[in-house]
Amino acid sequence: MKALRKYFTVFRISLENAFVYRSNILGGLLFYSLFIFVFFNLWRAIYQEGQVSGYSLTQIVWYLCITELIGFGSRSNIFHQMNDDVKSGSIAYQLNRPYKYVIYQFFNALGVMVFNFLICGVLAIILGLVMVGPIPGFRFTTLPFALISVILGIIMNFFILMTLGLTAFRLEENIAFYLIYQKLVFMLGMFIPVEFLPLWLQNIAKWLPFSYVTWAPARLVVAFSWDLFWTVVPIQILWVFVAIILSMMMYGYGIKGIQAHGG
Amino acid sequence: MKSLGKIFRLIGLYFKVNLASAMEYRSSFLLQAFGIALSNASFVFFWWIAFEQIGGRIGGYDFRDVMFIWALTSSAFGASNILFGNMNGITRLIVSGELDTFLLQPKDVLVSLLCARTSLSAWGDLVYGFVLMALTHSSDGMAWIMFLGGTIVGGLLMTAISVTAHTFTFYFGDASLIGDMALEFIINFCIYPQGIYHGFVRALMFTLIPASFIVHVPLKLARSFDIMWLLIMLGASILYCTLAYWFFYRGLKKYESGNLIITRM
Repeated sequence: MKALRKYFTVFRISLENAFVYRSNILGGLLFYSLFIFVFFNLWRAIYQEGQVSGYSLTQIVWYLCITELIGFGSRSNIFHQMNDDVKSGSIAYQLNRPYKYVIYQFFNALGVMVFNFLICGVLAIILGLVMVGPIPGFRFTTLPFALISVILGIIMNFFILMTLGLTAFRLEENIAFYLIYQKLVFMLGMFIPVEFLPLWLQNIAKWLPFSYVTWAPARLVVAFSWDLFWTVVPIQILWVFVAIILSMMMYGYGIKGIQAHGG
Repeated sequence: MKSLGKIFRLIGLYFKVNLASAMEYRSSFLLQAFGIALSNASFVFFWWIAFEQIGGRIGGYDFRDVMFIWALTSSAFGASNILFGNMNGITRLIVSGELDTFLLQPKDVLVSLLCARTSLSAWGDLVYGFVLMALTHSSDGMAWIMFLGGTIVGGLLMTAISVTAHTFTFYFGDASLIGDMALEFIINFCIYPQGIYHGFVRALMFTLIPASFIVHVPLKLARSFDIMWLLIMLGASILYCTLAYWFFYRGLKKYESGNLIITRM
């Protein structure tokens, strides 16, 4: 418990910092609104041409509100932070501090993520209601279960990005990993629901973590079913564990190669 | 006319120096350019899926039309960031006081400021547009002419909008948010069919956020040429660039040096 208290303090400071930078808040809200507005117009035009299987226009707009919310909620700069810490050597200063680096980074980003998620969450609800009205068949009783999936998606995304950032220990230029990961998340759920993809690609997507970051939680919010919940949440938990273990292994592996010369 | 020639010569010199500098870090340069091209390519995938599902047209555009506006947006953005790499950093230079260095140079301040930096990843954007055009409009001469002309006009327009937005820093303090928003709005209104927007937003696209002059008018000209629209597009571009130039120098009069000592290498 005592060990957790220091991480909670890190979380609290990070949350307080998030409140201080008001232009970041305003920027985030404006960008979020812009994306949702553009997507709303785009999908409205698409639905004017014909029906898309599995989702009504209302559902798809809410789906995009949720996937973008996860995108904004999990925005933490962790990849670049890892890159900078490793390349600048400042990670060496963290070695003798009384915390586990990986856990510290998580709680340090958690404040910003919680703040972004809450503030964009309110905006998402307002925008969704104004643009297309409430989700058909939505029940508040299932929302907490869908939120579990949302939280798992955000945590999974965080630790995957951290793992990719920590590859800087061995690779000088690792930005390509980041871009490829971002686009895979984008294509396999964030912008296009998995159900829209060709069947062969849907089958591949099921075995990869990318669609569990945004597609699974958003689908649970707009069309909750217990079958889907019990299918996707265990897979998300599995991927969260894999991502956490990988990030710790990557850190442990990289830290062995550090040579500090004082100064 | 003579001073315009001098400006082009200055831009050319900066381009040569920046390119030589980029070539010193070849692997980084190629990796960044490749990463951006790959990142852009994911949108082709989205449009392929969307048109597979729907079949016909979306917002009045077919698949080739969408690829044209994507190619043009990408190349115009790439060209502007290669030649005028500092267009997104004007606020930072003003706020930090680094603008002093440019004021002491015996050349045009705005041009020197814009050209002093280049973006390596922007090469990926530029090349991506050409590859996309080659794949979707290989033998369409008119589309290529409009694409090449549009890349120059669009690049200048994007730079003008960015300069105007960042210039607000002279008047109200840190305007980086306005600058980021301006570019994000421009790009988002460029890469989707014009027909998905209506009324007020459509009017904005011809005025405050001139995305229509960057991609949608060139597309219209490529499909059915109309000299009137060409003249309107060129006129609008000259007007926006002139306004941005004038607005910057008007704002510059308000600048107060912080006597920051820096070295440029």
